[in-house]
Amino acid sequence: MKFSSLAKIRLGVLGVLIIAIFAGFLVYPIAFDRPMDWLNSKLGLALPHYWQLPFHLGLDLQGGTHLVYKADISQVPEADINDAVAGVRDVIERRINVFGVAEPVVQTGKSGDQWQVIVELAGVKDVNQAIKMIGETPLLEFKEQADPSTQTLTADEQKQLDEFNAAAKKKAEDILKEVLKTPLVQFGDLAEKYSEDGSAAGGGSLDWAKQGIFVAEFEQAAFALKKGQVTKQLVKTQFGYHIIYKEDERGEGDSQEVKASHILIKTKTAAEFKPQEQFVYTGLTGKQLKRSQVQFDPNTQVPEVSLEFNDEGKDLFAEITKKNVNKIVGIFLDGEPISLPKVNEPILDGKAVISGSFTLPEAKLLAQRLNAGALPVPIELIAQQTVGATLGNDSVQKSLFAGLLGLLAVVVFMLLYYRLPGLLSVIALLIYSVLALTIFKIFGITLTLAGIAGFILSLGIAVDANVLVFERLKEEFRAGRPLSSAIDEAFKRAWPSIRDGNASTLITCIILFWFTSSMVKGFALTLSIGILVSIFTAMVVTRGLLKTIAVGRVQNWYFLFNRKKVVEQKPQS
Amino acid sequence: MLSIIAKRKYYYTFSLACVVTAVVFLIIWGFKMGIDFTGGSLMEVSFQETARPSVQEISGALTDLSNLGEVTIQPIGENNIILRFRNVTEIEHQEVLDKLIEQFTPGQRLDIKTTTTPVQIEGLVSGEANVTGIKAEKAAGARIIEERFDSIGPTVGQELKTKSFYAVIIVIIAIIAFIAWSFRKVGRPVSSWKYGVTAIIALVHDVTITCGIFALLGHFYNVEINTPFIAALLTVLGYSVNDTIVVFDRIRENLHRHQGDFEEIVNMSVNQTMIRSVNTSLTVMLTLLAIFLFGGETIRYFALTLMVGVFFGTYSSIFVASSLLVTWQNLVKKFAK
Repeated sequence: MKFSSLAKIRLGVLGVLIIAIFAGFLVYPIAFDRPMDWLNSKLGLALPHYWQLPFHLGLDLQGGTHLVYKADISQVPEADINDAVAGVRDVIERRINVFGVAEPVVQTGKSGDQWQVIVELAGVKDVNQAIKMIGETPLLEFKEQADPSTQTLTADEQKQLDEFNAAAKKKAEDILKEVLKTPLVQFGDLAEKYSEDGSAAGGGSLDWAKQGIFVAEFEQAAFALKKGQVTKQLVKTQFGYHIIYKEDERGEGDSQEVKASHILIKTKTAAEFKPQEQFVYTGLTGKQLKRSQVQFDPNTQVPEVSLEFNDEGKDLFAEITKKNVNKIVGIFLDGEPISLPKVNEPILDGKAVISGSFTLPEAKLLAQRLNAGALPVPIELIAQQTVGATLGNDSVQKSLFAGLLGLLAVVVFMLLYYRLPGLLSVIALLIYSVLALTIFKIFGITLTLAGIAGFILSLGIAVDANVLVFERLKEEFRAGRPLSSAIDEAFKRAWPSIRDGNASTLITCIILFWFTSSMVKGFALTLSIGILVSIFTAMVVTRGLLKTIAVGRVQNWYFLFNRKKVVEQKPQS
Repeated sequence: MLSIIAKRKYYYTFSLACVVTAVVFLIIWGFKMGIDFTGGSLMEVSFQETARPSVQEISGALTDLSNLGEVTIQPIGENNIILRFRNVTEIEHQEVLDKLIEQFTPGQRLDIKTTTTPVQIEGLVSGEANVTGIKAEKAAGARIIEERFDSIGPTVGQELKTKSFYAVIIVIIAIIAFIAWSFRKVGRPVSSWKYGVTAIIALVHDVTITCGIFALLGHFYNVEINTPFIAALLTVLGYSVNDTIVVFDRIRENLHRHQGDFEEIVNMSVNQTMIRSVNTSLTVMLTLLAIFLFGGETIRYFALTLMVGVFFGTYSSIFVASSLLVTWQNLVKKFAK
């Protein structure tokens, strides 16, 4: 194997060291600022401070914002409430993860009768945008037509309805008294003043009508009256209370017609009082949505949005469409019917199409929004507060101290056991830590307990790479190789196991990162970054340092390498 | 050279005993699931006319209520604290409140009357919430007021559970595939996919034992399984495979360089990597031990999980994984005859 010349290696090492120093200041700017302040105060200079870039710490380490959303489950049958609220939870979590706020806490809550979703986000900087994102989450519902017989008034509502109608009757009676006191020529004026239907503007006047035009009660009263008479009692119909004035009549028998005016005071029926839900909750919502895509109607080339359900949604959709053949199943977006297709036959493949009148950008936006997660029930933000760290500052400080203590033990061990290479590997590990932490800072990677676990593991793996190389180095010593070629050989031989070990861990990380969310994702991210940096520091930095230092006389100081002088050394070239 | 592989019966016995015991623990006791998985109660109290105690002080005040399990304490707003703990009875709920009052605002005792009237929650739920609360009859003086007491669901949603489960399955398949590919040139005498399968068996071994120990700790010391435990298990997963691959890599190399009995080559490889395995886990263990002994209360069990996992990960890659390769090879030979 051919290696670059020593000068090149030394230049490279110098470069890495300079980068590491800059990175070190970035990780711990006080180390730069303090001496600068001191110089400023002594010499009266105005030297600047270093670039201040904070770590992005997660909820457990730093706290953040606590949001409480109220889930509106009024439309949801009792048995499905838990599911629906859990669905909201999952959708919001997915949504926040898309936004990149790492490792939120999202949990359902129940406060009295109110169902809530509690969301905690790390940091407070982007909270308004996060809230906006959550607010923009579409509400997607599939609803079926209601069975009217199932909708009855509650006792309370019935009471209100009765009170309303009683008030209407009282009002109508008062008007009747007034009508009876007033001359009939003024009936039109009174109708204009009081009547609650469309005829009021025309003085309550109705068209000529034969029998069979009016509702039965009205007709009976109107035909029974003589010309120029007013009803002495209120006439009750389905519309309310009428006071009828017969203006004229003509014709005989079947062709008999009347011309009447009336004053109507409306009452309400149960259906009017509580408008019937035309469409009701089916349980099929954005929660079961797997994927959404823009496509074009093959006949008209109009853009439409296709929906694909997950397994649960597929079964549910099949069930709903089976039940509703030849009926309408409404697709509702944010509470508005967006498409009301008629079911021709049961749909078993879990695919649906929203064919509203979309423009292409609209369809694209909708598909995008749906893909980011669609809510099963409406939500409303009801509280927002700042929260502190769950781990507690003392705990974090203590753990950091303990971690440093542990690292110190590692340093002592490496020095005692591997001596000079040990020292160099400690320097390489230091560079490793600084570089990894710099990457965490610059790319704003959120550090939580899980993320730090990933970092610790990668630190362990970084140490391992050095240990692997040094053990090989000893073997090469035993085989009697001179130092320089022993170093090359040790790195060359250790490389396959470092490569494969790290590759397998990296594969694990990529899969975890891709498929999961929240904590597991954070762990995978810091671990992968740590691994990539550790391969670099172990294979490049440690080797560079070793080759830079292990030249000339140093090669003969066997003690530094914990090498026994058993083999005759070949003459140096 | 130590004769390691020849004594594989002992390791198998030991490992099998450990795994079986772990499985038995898991079946009998199971995990003591923490509120991250089960949900529980959320209690918010505000400290009036008194400085809010630190998270540590509150945690200290509640240690007496040992049957409460793990309590997550989090400052919220200016004066308030959120406590999250398992579902409790009304009596236990009042005990928590009493404990806080006793510790931080003992003067309140004389003045208050515990009631179950709904309390208006300022700035939060618009008053209709049915919250059991404490009403201070005397307005002045340091006191603790319960702002809300709600039930909450788990933070680990069904989606994350399902996804993580599939992710782990895919990880296992991917690792087997990767090792099979990476060792593809080592056709002799054991085909490369067997290295992958063996690495996974060692992995399952490590993870099962770690889980078993936590079932034990949960039963006797009320150690709960929460999200950090999952992070720790994932770490063990990564470490275990990594460690095993290093040993296998040496076997791969030696198979290229030396002729000889498979068992001898494996034994030689294990010997050659032994010091490295021990040194590496020693360094990791040193860090973890420091965190376990001196670190914060909250991450102690996290460190403990890792220690147990790393210990068994190292043990299994030295003694179990390589031995299994030999046993497998011998079985194949036996049946081929």
